[in-house]
Amino acid sequence: MELVDRYLKAVAKALPEAQREDIIRELSEDIRSEIEDKQSALGRSLTAAEQESLLKQRGNPLLLAARYRQDHRSLVIGRQLIGPVLFPFYVKVLCFNLGITFLVTATIFVALSVSGQNISFHQVFSICLLQLLIQLGVVTLIFSLVQKHLTKNPDRWNLSGAGGGLRLDLKTEKNVSLPLERGTPQVSRFDSVSIIVASGVALVWLTGVQKAPFLILGPAAAFLRLAPVWYQFYFPIVLLTVAEIVRAVINLFRPDWTRFRAVFNIGMHCAGLALVYFLIKAGRWVVAVDSTADGGSQYAHAAEIVNQWIRYSLVLTVAFVCLMLVLRVIRLVRSLRQQKGTPYIGTAAKSGN
Amino acid sequence: MTPSTNTHELFENLRLELRRGSLVLAVLAALRKEQYGYTLRKTLEEQGMAIDEGTLYPLLRRLETQGLLVSEWREEEKRNKRFYRLSADGAQILKQLLAEWQSINSSLGGMLQGA
Repeated sequence: MELVDRYLKAVAKALPEAQREDIIRELSEDIRSEIEDKQSALGRSLTAAEQESLLKQRGNPLLLAARYRQDHRSLVIGRQLIGPVLFPFYVKVLCFNLGITFLVTATIFVALSVSGQNISFHQVFSICLLQLLIQLGVVTLIFSLVQKHLTKNPDRWNLSGAGGGLRLDLKTEKNVSLPLERGTPQVSRFDSVSIIVASGVALVWLTGVQKAPFLILGPAAAFLRLAPVWYQFYFPIVLLTVAEIVRAVINLFRPDWTRFRAVFNIGMHCAGLALVYFLIKAGRWVVAVDSTADGGSQYAHAAEIVNQWIRYSLVLTVAFVCLMLVLRVIRLVRSLRQQKGTPYIGTAAKSGN
Repeated sequence: MTPSTNTHELFENLRLELRRGSLVLAVLAALRKEQYGYTLRKTLEEQGMAIDEGTLYPLLRRLETQGLLVSEWREEEKRNKRFYRLSADGAQILKQLLAEWQSINSSLGGMLQGA
């Protein structure tokens, strides 16, 4: 019943929280009743393929979950860009991204205000509007692409994502399957495409930041500039971003190369740690444009406060990356051990036991 | 897209539209006797009103929210199942809907006889 559980888990993820448990209980009962009915008619257990076909008939978990939603909100600009199925996820991602962005922006403004800088409403408004438009554009673009795929191929999905999650199948072949073998997990193509898009946007942003520091410093760009250390590390940062894109492209064509992704991610975390280590060592990340000009001491004070915040952020980043690195190494070791020791789970199912 | 595909799609859409209205009536009628989701689905299927679970369960929830059905979780054959039945309001609405359906049916019958 592992496949049934994974299907239910995928449906549950897209259900409204208040009704989730109740709906899943009922749906689980329905699926198990149907399986039992079929088994008693056949006089044997269902094979993996038969279970797979039964779940396929029930349809895409995302679409099934959407039918339980009372609200059918969508994003329509001329035509429907994001339908009711993806709309709740779209809002969640947008709120999360905007929350983080505005938190960072607010921190910069507070630091500037504490250091005695005059901040006009116009400055606050323009930076917030710019961030809002960037986030809105990027998130809407990604979700409308996923929506397009979902509309064109409502039956192209499988449950081989990590942790029982659903993944949309971006394969070009029509033949789809629900791989049951625990020994053959796959990198979700949806993940790969998302990473390519997100890293591409990051590359464009990195290029822009060099020419327009306003994109990262906001109104503070008038009297602060990035310290030389960023220009020294610009190439390694771009290199890591490009490497991530290359890795995602490789996994797009070879989703079965999960070990490659695991090892690559560990390597990327190590490289990231080394980068952050040298950044921390630099000690100064922003400098005042001209400390001898009028208000120069105020600018220097502002730079000091911003540097303090950056130091805390970098230390927090190190802690987070270290934690992720340990988790990824543990996961890799576990998967290596499992592959050696665990019998093929599909064999029992396929033999009908 | 060929004209025949268009016609087929159009027919499918109209057929679904027609069935959607009748499904509420069929579900209410079937639930004059208490049943749980799966047996209800089987009953409807046997009566020629097949309905997929992705349509049936949200419909049951909607009808329950509207006060036309009542449900309770109960153990049967060592498994917990949710049983649905028609409420008093549901029985009243069913009666009215059946009268309406019969009236539509006879009107259509009259029109089609002349055709």
